[in-house]
Amino acid sequence: MVPTKTTPKSSKTVDSMPPHTPNQTNEPSSLPTRRRSLRLASIPNSDPPQCDAGDDSAATATAVRVSNDPNSGPTGGAFSGKGRRKGRSDDSPTVTVKLDDSVKGFLNLRSGKKVLKRGMEASQDNAVTNGDPGSGSAKRGRKTRTQKSQEEEEEEEEEQICEADVDAVKIEKQNIAEGLEHFDSGNRGKRKLDGHAVNVEVGSTVAGARKLSREEKGKSVAHEAPLENGSGAKLHSEERNAVPVQVRARERSRNTNNNNNNGNQREHGSNRMERFRDIARENALRFAHFTAEEEENTNDNSVSEPEVEHEIEDWPGPFSTAMKIIRDREKKDFQTGCRPSERSLVESIKWVPKGNQALTSGKLLVPSSLQELCLKILARNVDNIASLDSVPDSLRHRLSQLLCDSGRITDHFLELLVGGSPTEIRLRNCSWLSEEQFTKCFQMCDTANLMVLQLDQCGRCLADYVIHTTLAQSRGHLPRLTSLSITGACRLSDIGLRALVSSAPALRSVNLSRCSLLTSSGIFHLAESLKPLLKELYLDECNGIDTELVLPALLELEHLEVLSVASVKTVNDDFVKNYVTARGHNLKELILHNCVNVTDASIKIIAEHCPGLCVLDLMHLEKLTDVSIGHLTNRCHALHTLKLCRNPFSDEVIAAFVETSGESLQELSLNSVKKVGYHTTLSLANHAKNLHTLDLSWCRNLTDNALGLIVDRCLSLISLNLFGCTQVTDVFLKGHSNMRLQIIGLQNSPLLQHVKVPDPHQGALNYSSVSMDCV
Amino acid sequence: MKKEDTVKLISAEGFEFVIDKEAAMVSQTIHNMLTSPGSFAERQHGEVTFPEISTTILEKICQYFYWHLQFASGKETEFPIEPELTLELMMAANYLHT
Repeated sequence: MVPTKTTPKSSKTVDSMPPHTPNQTNEPSSLPTRRRSLRLASIPNSDPPQCDAGDDSAATATAVRVSNDPNSGPTGGAFSGKGRRKGRSDDSPTVTVKLDDSVKGFLNLRSGKKVLKRGMEASQDNAVTNGDPGSGSAKRGRKTRTQKSQEEEEEEEEEQICEADVDAVKIEKQNIAEGLEHFDSGNRGKRKLDGHAVNVEVGSTVAGARKLSREEKGKSVAHEAPLENGSGAKLHSEERNAVPVQVRARERSRNTNNNNNNGNQREHGSNRMERFRDIARENALRFAHFTAEEEENTNDNSVSEPEVEHEIEDWPGPFSTAMKIIRDREKKDFQTGCRPSERSLVESIKWVPKGNQALTSGKLLVPSSLQELCLKILARNVDNIASLDSVPDSLRHRLSQLLCDSGRITDHFLELLVGGSPTEIRLRNCSWLSEEQFTKCFQMCDTANLMVLQLDQCGRCLADYVIHTTLAQSRGHLPRLTSLSITGACRLSDIGLRALVSSAPALRSVNLSRCSLLTSSGIFHLAESLKPLLKELYLDECNGIDTELVLPALLELEHLEVLSVASVKTVNDDFVKNYVTARGHNLKELILHNCVNVTDASIKIIAEHCPGLCVLDLMHLEKLTDVSIGHLTNRCHALHTLKLCRNPFSDEVIAAFVETSGESLQELSLNSVKKVGYHTTLSLANHAKNLHTLDLSWCRNLTDNALGLIVDRCLSLISLNLFGCTQVTDVFLKGHSNMRLQIIGLQNSPLLQHVKVPDPHQGALNYSSVSMDCV
Repeated sequence: MKKEDTVKLISAEGFEFVIDKEAAMVSQTIHNMLTSPGSFAERQHGEVTFPEISTTILEKICQYFYWHLQFASGKETEFPIEPELTLELMMAANYLHT
């Protein structure tokens, strides 16, 4: 038996533990690194080593917690549980909890991550700190003594199983992927994540022995996983996106796993595999996870969809006209009686790539503009810039953006920006900025003329007390401030917001995205003070705000033109209905990105009440059906930007929309709208003359011909996103005739090009001009 | 160089730079001045004055025009810029849309 290391560490109280920043666990071990084979030889094939049951409370805490696990199967199944094999037994007579760690509150996973024990998790949410990822493989040398014993214990268990599997390993190596497929049928939703992770891990090339061990682990986990939560081979190593939920699942699996470990150590070879497969089949149903795609395919939906669709097509209006055109077109082009398949439709598109492909060198020589050259040099020599006086705002913004993106921004540059009496200060990324520096700069800053202040990702430097000493030094300290953006201000509470608002009485545009501490009372105050003025409000991901409670506040904002509630979970049809019926007539931009509870009913209301709507973002709204596009086609004639992503719309419906609204369309995103194909292509080619930005990522039905046709006929097209379009070949890439076009997302496009960058010349508001008279 | 193919750019201090029209057209501003249907005085005399741009900067800009033409026709070289000039040069380039 391996001697247990029991150096008790002082227990930390849970409350005093601050949130952790990632740290490296590079502590050397006092034990020499031992080879796996040596250890194998020294360990008997029996129960896992006992450990001291010293700290009863901790042990019982974990034991109690652990015993709940087997009952929480279905919910457990919904998590992509990491399936950490090393379980803590809950009903084995020996408590195999490593108590020093439990006392300390941490478990050191093999990957080096520290994970709070489950008993502790109840009172602390963020549990995972990322240790050194490189220690994922069995580098024992990196662990401390106390941790080591726990790891050893775990490894021993693994090895015992590995030992059994060594014979079968070679055959089963290839079967890992297939083995996982077994669980696929039962665990579709999770599979997407898990399968991917497994591929990463199985494919990782580590030194031979390690690879073997990893695959063994992978395999073994795959077998045991369905027994608790069908997690597959989600290894603990190399996973960076751990979440408390997953941690719990991991713990749970660890606990229940150990049961199986004890029993399994004695079985060998393929018998075990069979048994596992049987158990998996039995349990799979419990853990099956429905995705939206599956729901779509059920019979109910398919019956109701065509009915509703026919309804909207029947009503007279632009949509029905367009749909008729499309159906006629299809009939005209294809004389055969049966409906042609999608493939043959798309392949019928005729497009001639330009003939002189051989002549073009493939790269158009475009010299950089002088401004760009200068900006680059300035970015490299930031600290030598003496002053930005007389530099126009647009150039300041471009320089600031370049510096933020390339990580070259310094305190000195901020001082330059706040020097003089600036009118606009834009910083896309303030994560480098410390509180002290922020306070220093903004205490001194002359804000009399400041109209635009953008401090994005300012969580580090912007807290309530900082605001009181800088931006809200006095009432009306920011007299001309029109546009304020403080995204990511995660330490800003309602009080800080209140102070800001009282010091900026002229605010017209406020971006509070990801300010997670804000609640509806902060918004109420905002609405009260800025009632007639506020034109733009962004509340992306502000999940501290309950949309039901905040609705009256929003209704008070009489002139709101832009509203974004992206990713706010509580947004539902009622909210949209109530807001839009009252205030829709002024609305120009509505962003419902990722508000998954929104359905067709909301879109119908939006279409009816927002005649002036210019920008609509419906990305990730998977409950919408074709009916929504029908409504939009019929009523929203001013729409120039429509953003769709992963919506289950059909090709014909999108085509109908483009037929009707194509002339005014400037930006269209059809990212992952998988059914897009023949009809949309033709409609775009015929009508989208003003389209400058198009996103066709993941639309795999589009062939080279289709894309070529679109690109050559949409004369204004400048930017085309084609992420995930592996079907595109050089026939299109080299054969299209659009000289100005930039294609993003295929092999040679520079990174980050698709990230939308604000226009440096853009004024403070999107849709209105600001006049200072009414202040 | 024939007179019809050239354009005169005059700096703040009064220095005159005579360059090809093709080179000057690299600047969108100058291009508009010289080709727009209205009657800019510049168009008639073939001269453009820049009271805000100093001589050194204007000289550098002219060099940039020629570099631009060479690059577009295949000769890929680097355009050297002294760091001290950069800020002013950038502002002038911004004004000239180049």
